[in-house]
Amino acid sequence: MSTIVITAPDDQQGTSTPGKKSRNHARTARRRQTAIRLAVFAAFLILWWGVTAAGLVKPLFLPSPGAVWHAAVQANSCRPVAAGVERLVCGEQNYFMWEHLIASLQRIGVGVGMAIVFGVALGFIMGTIKPINTVIEPYLNFLRSLPPLGYIGLLIVWFGIGDVSKIWLLFLAAFPPIAMATISGVGGIRQARIHAAQSLGASRWQVMTNVILPSSLSEIFSGIRIAVGFAWTTVVAAELNNGIPGIGGLAYISGTQLQTPLTIACIIVIGISAIALDALIKNLGRVLVPWHGKA
Amino acid sequence: MTAVANGPIAGSVPSGRRVVLENISQCYTTDSGDTVHAVSDTSITVESGEFVCIVGPSGCGKSTLMDMLAGFLTPTQGTVTIGGERISGPGQDRGVVFQQPNLYPWLSVRKNVELGLKLRKIPASVRRDEAKRYLEMVGLEQFMDRKPYELSGGMQQRCQIARVLANDPEIILMDEPFGALDALTRERMQVELLQIWRKRKKTVFFITHSVEEAIFLGTRVLVMSARPGRIILDETINISDENGSPLGAELRSAPEFVRLRDKVSTAIYEAQGVTGMSPAQH
Repeated sequence: MSTIVITAPDDQQGTSTPGKKSRNHARTARRRQTAIRLAVFAAFLILWWGVTAAGLVKPLFLPSPGAVWHAAVQANSCRPVAAGVERLVCGEQNYFMWEHLIASLQRIGVGVGMAIVFGVALGFIMGTIKPINTVIEPYLNFLRSLPPLGYIGLLIVWFGIGDVSKIWLLFLAAFPPIAMATISGVGGIRQARIHAAQSLGASRWQVMTNVILPSSLSEIFSGIRIAVGFAWTTVVAAELNNGIPGIGGLAYISGTQLQTPLTIACIIVIGISAIALDALIKNLGRVLVPWHGKA
Repeated sequence: MTAVANGPIAGSVPSGRRVVLENISQCYTTDSGDTVHAVSDTSITVESGEFVCIVGPSGCGKSTLMDMLAGFLTPTQGTVTIGGERISGPGQDRGVVFQQPNLYPWLSVRKNVELGLKLRKIPASVRRDEAKRYLEMVGLEQFMDRKPYELSGGMQQRCQIARVLANDPEIILMDEPFGALDALTRERMQVELLQIWRKRKKTVFFITHSVEEAIFLGTRVLVMSARPGRIILDETINISDENGSPLGAELRSAPEFVRLRDKVSTAIYEAQGVTGMSPAQH
C-alpha cells in the first residue's frame, strides 16, 4: 500500500477530486492484478516444463511446452514431407492452423448470427405476448438442456455431413440463451417507462422500437456472450465428423492420431480465441449500452 | 414574469374538452389474495382549463385516480370521459409527469424532450426549436447534449416536465412532480407551471402531499379520504388576483390562504381518522 502513497502524491493544494483518486486507485489495482496473473502464468509454465523435463510423465500424455509450441509453429508453416525430399507439406490436414480457426469462426459467426436474429425476435414475441410464452417456454427449456453431442447425429441425417448440419448445431446451441435473455430483458422493463412513451403518443410499434428494444439491449448482450460461449464449447462436437478445416475438428483428429502436442496447441488457440471474442462483445456492449448500471 | 390577462382564471370560457369521472371504482387483488378498493364510487367533473389539485393521505388512491385518467388503468366500475368520449388508453392528449423522471438513458436530454414530437413525425427543425424553448424554461439549456443519468435527480425531473410540455398535451397529469426538487427549484417550477397553465389554457390534474402547494397552484382542491378513496372535500380556490401576480410569500400569509390551508388540512386529518387534532400544530 505504501507505494500508492508515493506514486500518487497529493494533487496541487490537495484539491484532488475523489473521482481522480478512485481512478488512480483503480489503475494501481488493475496493474497489480495483471502482475499477479502474469506471475502465476509463468509459474505454471515453469511447473509444466519442469514436470516434462524431469521425465515424470510420458511425452505422449503430457508434451513439453516446447513441443506444443513447435506443433503450433509447424501447423502454421510449410515443411518438407521428409528430410531431403523436395515436396512440401503445409500446415496440418492440408490447412494451416489459422485456416482451421477461421473456418470455425465462420461457422460460429453464421450460427450465432442466425441465433441472434431469431433469438431476439422470438424473445421479443414471447416477452410481449403472454400466451405464446406459455406455449413455447417448455420447448425452449427442453432445447436448452440438451447436450449438442446428443443430437448432432440427427442433424447429420437431416442436413448432411457438410457445413449445414454444423451451423444448425451451433445455431441450436446459441439460440436458447439469446431468446431467454431477450425475454428477461423485455419482461424486466419498468412499466412506467412504457407508460411514459404511450402518454407521449407512442403507438404499439413505436413503444417496441423506441422503448422496449433499447431497454433490453443490455440483457440481450449478456445473452449473446453466453451464447458465444456455448458455441465455442459446441464447436468441437460440431466438427467431430468431417470437421476439417476446423479448429475443433483438428483438435479431435490430432488426438485420435496421438499428436498430443497439436491437440494441446489447438485447445490453447480455442481458449484464447474464445476469451478474445468474449472481450470484444463485452466492449461492444459497453459502447452500445453506455448507460448500463447508471439508469 | 409577465401576467397573462386572458388566462382561464380571468373568467373566459375555454373551448377545450370537459373531463368527467362518473361513479368510478377501482379494485385490485393483491398478491396475497386480498381485494383492495383503491377508489370507491367517485364522481368528478372538471371543466377545461381548471387546475385541480388532489391531496390526501398516503395510499388513498390518488395515483390510482391518475392512472385511470391517463388510461393506464380501466376503472372496475364507472366511466372516464373527455369531451364526452370514453378514454380507451393512454394518448398524446394527456401528458403525464410521473413521480420518477422516467427519462430514456439512450437519448440525450434534448432528444428526450423531442421524443413526443418525433413520435408524431414533426419535422426535426421544429422539434429542435421546441425542445430548446422548454429546456430553457426549465433551466437545462446548457445540459441539452448530456445524457439523463449525468444529471441530478432534480434536473432529471425538470427534463421530464419539459418533455411533457413540449408535447403540448391538452390535459396535464402530474403525480407529485416536484417532490424530489429542492425548495428553491420547487418554488420556481411552481411559478413556471402557473405561467404555462395561464398562457396555454391547459387542464391540469396535480397530485401533491403539500397542502400549501395545492392551494397555491390550484383553482380547485380535492381532498381524498383514506382507502377506499373518495372525495371528501371539493374546494374552489380563488385567491390569486385577476392577473395572477401575487405568487410569493405574501400570498402564503394572506388570511384567505391561511383559512383555506386550515380547512384543507383539517379535512385531511379527518380523512386519516385523526380528529380533534389541530392541524396548526403540524
